[in-house]
Amino acid sequence: MLNISPFSYGLIIQQVYDNGSVYSPETHSLQDLQQPAVSSKVFIQRDYSSGTICKFQTKFPSELESRIDKQQFEETIQTLNNLYAEAEKLGGKSYLEGCLACLTAYTIFLCMETHYEKVLKKIARYIKDQNEKIYAPRGLLLTDPIERGLRVVEITIFEDRSIGAALLKTRLGSTMVFISFMEIKSL
Amino acid sequence: MPNSVGKRFKPTKYIPVSTAATLLVGSTTLFFVFTCPWLTKVISPAVPLYNGLVFLFVLANFSMATFMDPGVYPRADEDEDKEDDFRAPLYKNVEIKGIQVRMKWCATCHFYRPPRCSHCSVCDNCVEDFDHHCPWVNNCIGRRNYRYFFLFLLSLSAHMVGVFCFGLIFVLDHRERLGALHTTVTLVVMCIAGLFFIPVMGLTGFHMVLVARGRTTNEQVTGKFRGGVNPFTKGCCGNVEYVLCSPLAPRYMLDPRKKPHVKIQPPFIRPDLSDRQITIKVTDNGIHSTVISSKSKSSLDGLDDKETQPPLPPKADRYNQLKSQMTSSEDSSLSTKTHPSTPAMYKFRPSFGTMPKVQYHTAEEKIVMSDDRKPSAILEEGVRGHDYRSEPNLDLPEYANAPLHRTFQSSPLQLDSDPINSRSLSLKQGHGRPEKGQLPALQPRTVTSTPYKSVFSPNNLSNRNGSLSYDSLLNPSISPATASECMAHHGVPSVGFHSPYLPTKMCHIREPDIQRQQVPPTYSPVIPPRVVGRHSPHLRDRDPSPVRYDNLSQTIMASIQERKEKEEREKRQIHRGRSQTHIYAQDSGVFDGGYGLPTNAGYPDGPRGPGSRGPTPPAYGGSRDNLMGVGLVSYGQRTPVLRHAGSTLGRAPRTSSTSLHTDQSSINSSQSRATGPEGPYRSPAHQPHSPAMPRSPSYSHQKLSYISAHERTESPRLGGSREAMKVNGQMDCHPSAQGAALSPSRHSNVKKVTGVGGTTYEISV
Repeated sequence: MLNISPFSYGLIIQQVYDNGSVYSPETHSLQDLQQPAVSSKVFIQRDYSSGTICKFQTKFPSELESRIDKQQFEETIQTLNNLYAEAEKLGGKSYLEGCLACLTAYTIFLCMETHYEKVLKKIARYIKDQNEKIYAPRGLLLTDPIERGLRVVEITIFEDRSIGAALLKTRLGSTMVFISFMEIKSL
Repeated sequence: MPNSVGKRFKPTKYIPVSTAATLLVGSTTLFFVFTCPWLTKVISPAVPLYNGLVFLFVLANFSMATFMDPGVYPRADEDEDKEDDFRAPLYKNVEIKGIQVRMKWCATCHFYRPPRCSHCSVCDNCVEDFDHHCPWVNNCIGRRNYRYFFLFLLSLSAHMVGVFCFGLIFVLDHRERLGALHTTVTLVVMCIAGLFFIPVMGLTGFHMVLVARGRTTNEQVTGKFRGGVNPFTKGCCGNVEYVLCSPLAPRYMLDPRKKPHVKIQPPFIRPDLSDRQITIKVTDNGIHSTVISSKSKSSLDGLDDKETQPPLPPKADRYNQLKSQMTSSEDSSLSTKTHPSTPAMYKFRPSFGTMPKVQYHTAEEKIVMSDDRKPSAILEEGVRGHDYRSEPNLDLPEYANAPLHRTFQSSPLQLDSDPINSRSLSLKQGHGRPEKGQLPALQPRTVTSTPYKSVFSPNNLSNRNGSLSYDSLLNPSISPATASECMAHHGVPSVGFHSPYLPTKMCHIREPDIQRQQVPPTYSPVIPPRVVGRHSPHLRDRDPSPVRYDNLSQTIMASIQERKEKEEREKRQIHRGRSQTHIYAQDSGVFDGGYGLPTNAGYPDGPRGPGSRGPTPPAYGGSRDNLMGVGLVSYGQRTPVLRHAGSTLGRAPRTSSTSLHTDQSSINSSQSRATGPEGPYRSPAHQPHSPAMPRSPSYSHQKLSYISAHERTESPRLGGSREAMKVNGQMDCHPSAQGAALSPSRHSNVKKVTGVGGTTYEISV
């Protein structure tokens, strides 16, 4: 129709609207906010073979076969299992905490963090660290299992392709992209 | 209070808790105000102090029990159950310390409830370690607040005891002035305490027992571990310690915190793909299990890994599903991908050929040597896996693996991928679905140029869900039609080989060591009742039986020849009036099939008759021939066709305890019917045999078991002793132990023949 062949087209952002103002596209760059599309999710289930203690299966799922090394994955899961075991350990610290709580009529919980919560914070830091260092570069994202009630470890697999010009999947937060003028141009 | 759209304010649910709180606080306050001052003066100031502390403890625990999150699970994301939703089985089994525990799918929360978790209908939440929903605190009691609830009960009991006792002291001291205000109030408080004393103490005692046993109220009340073992117990001390001293569990219903934003940008790092790998994802009951097959024997490991997943027990799962997802771009594989298994009861039918295994190994070796392509390895796996299925000691759960293996996609390297895919397709479809008819059609295509494929003759892989037909291995000329017919013994092509299409029952019968106790009355002949388990290590460990069918048949043939000679001699003796021989002639007739008629006429349920005679002790010994025979017997019970088969050489029917009990009465009647033609052949000499029969434990004499069966059938007629029939489930003619017990009339003419498995037969000559 445009008498141009071969032909490829896309959308060029002319203006961006944000919170009542209109800006030129250079000021609100959307490229950074674009995330690759989610290809699939893998769920690592709990391993109940030793009871109800929090432990995840270390079996390497096949979907990750082409994305990450088996050892790496197993190491991550194993570390998580160890951390959870530490959180649930019945030891001196938990006795102390229990006694203290009893004595203070549980008001101690208002000011102090429990042992488990402390370890959970540690786990969250570890997962973030793993994500940044190992999983994100491979297009994977670990979700903290506490968000799922410690039932599964969710691993999001992202598509490994660059964003098509015609497809914008963005996480813009509060920014609204408003394309006021659209020109179909051959790129 | 306004009624919001979401949750309606139900005042009724707050009545018990407000009553409890009011009573507790109110009566204790009254106690402190009216009773304690006097007690302080008279006894000591420690009294109100003690009571105060206890009361404080009660209040604190009460508040914690009431307001603390019991361990509520958040609803699962949509993504999590996407694959499970429509075809998900209701239950998923998981093994905890060796005990199978069932996890139920929660339709509200969209996940499989973890062990000990239960959904509270009042709170509309799944609660971890759900104990019960307590109306007095208007809260669920779960993992997080069970301790506080328990301590609340303990402290409340102590408090009530204390209040009651001190009140009693007061009242006793103020006996004469019962009308006074203080005394009256104390009396009232005492009454309240006394009224709630029994229920609270009862509940406290109940929970003390529960804590000691490591059970929840829910488990106790529903009788989950009644008569069984509780996998969650840590011993009495361990349980108490766990309840009282374990760290406070975390809350799951958290506010959506801001997740640390991790930037993910392509290009992504990929791991090294050193060798071409084919990955197969098998989703089963929501458990994502994976099998990775690659070029080498590592494929075996992959399979093993898969099987070490949470094993599914033989029973329980009714909707085992198989979803194989192939990464290759074969069209057939695509078709299989879009062909999810139906949530039928069984996806996997057992393969029935015991023989096949024997032969199969050689074939397999051939495969390995001749074709080292990946697909061959895969198929080898599949076939081998399947092969293991055909073992007599197979337990049903292992069957599951067969289709799993078989649904491996073909590798891209597979040149003639089409047949393989069709085979896998046919195999996959062979799970009890009406598409079986397609299998024969597909079969001819599978025989192509690949060298190992020739071993898998048309019938091999697609008979009845891929059960390997030993017949086809030996006689590739067997038509697919024959092969795919269910339970049809078409005159058994080869002597000594039973049909591969033994019904499930027989397969079960053939696994005495594993599933002896499982009576398969409800098993249809077509569909294996039990679902899949993964017992691959078991499979892999199984050695090929030393008994080979062709050898067996030769042995049988040899012994039959021997018997024929004896029969001839007997016939000569018959003319001299030795009636005993007739029986053997008949037996041989039965055995031979060629003599067929008297057998068939006289024993409409012939093979079944002796077989069903009473409980067969499960002393199969697990040997292949035993199992085969057993299978044959039960098979015979179902179809008259087996009669012919049964009379064929080597197909000595065997009794199966499980399946034959029910037939007993019918058999008895049929046997009595069959008495008629056998009249002239009766021999009183046989009678002593019948009582002696039950003793024989071994089942390994297939060839002569039929003979003994006939003898058995005759013996009741002879002596009218039904008990003998009933007792004598054993087909064994003459265990060597019985040699001496033979009737005197047979003394000189008994020849002992050693049969397969080392047992001896006694043949009258």
